Amino acid sequence: MSEIGKVRIRVPSSIKPGDVVQVRTLVIHPMERIERDAQGKIIPKTYNYIHKVVVTYLGKTIVTFDTTQSVSENPFFSFAFRATDPGPLKVEFLDTTGGRYEGAVDITFA
Amino acid sequence: MLGTLGALGVAAASGVLAAPRPARAQPLGLNESVDVAMKRVFAGRPIRDGESLIKLDIPLIAENGAVVPVSVRVDSPMTPTSYVKHIYIVADKNRIPVVTRVTLTPAAGQAFVGANIRLGETGPVHAIVEQSDGTLWRSTREVKVTVGGCGG
Repeated sequence: MSEIGKVRIRVPSSIKPGDVVQVRTLVIHPMERIERDAQGKIIPKTYNYIHKVVVTYLGKTIVTFDTTQSVSENPFFSFAFRATDPGPLKVEFLDTTGGRYEGAVDITFA
Repeated sequence: MLGTLGALGVAAASGVLAAPRPARAQPLGLNESVDVAMKRVFAGRPIRDGESLIKLDIPLIAENGAVVPVSVRVDSPMTPTSYVKHIYIVADKNRIPVVTRVTLTPAAGQAFVGANIRLGETGPVHAIVEQSDGTLWRSTREVKVTVGGCGG
């Protein structure tokens, strides 16, 4: 699974200043589920899953997702933001093992 | 609200020996019944019917419970004085009922979020919205799950 942590971000191809833009983002991540032993007891260990997603635009946080193991493998999220100025839109995924996966796109106006 | 969650986080961190799972994941994602989760997260505050306010988009029948696309859109001006602060997605029948808590800012321009979630079995899924004035609103859909996706 060398692909873990690969972040994809999709924004519409043409954006006008002031538009509210819907963005889709995805990270390759196993999002481990709770495992149980034969007696149905939860096996205690550090499960590796994404617990936080932070979206920043022009250095300001606009949306934060706090997530649990009830989110699918290779978690996909979408959100909206108002494109006011050209600049970077960053999405950062944090997992419970300390992993930090980041993706960014440059917002430009056609 | 955030203060409460923060305090829970500290409590979880100090009691880490008893809890096998990582402390920072404790406040939101616990293996518990939905009633306990609702009480813990919303502290018994009244939740009003927001069917007309919230547009919760989720398939009525989910063939694969491992990946269920859900999107939530809320009618809100998203101005600094009136905006949607949090959107919670709660799946009643999941072992970890609180799926996600989204924190929005007015800069989002539109109260819209989407995610792919897991559903363990057939049951109601709620979108619970917290406005900037602190009021809570709920919209619910019943989802039939053919193959559960939560495993453990």
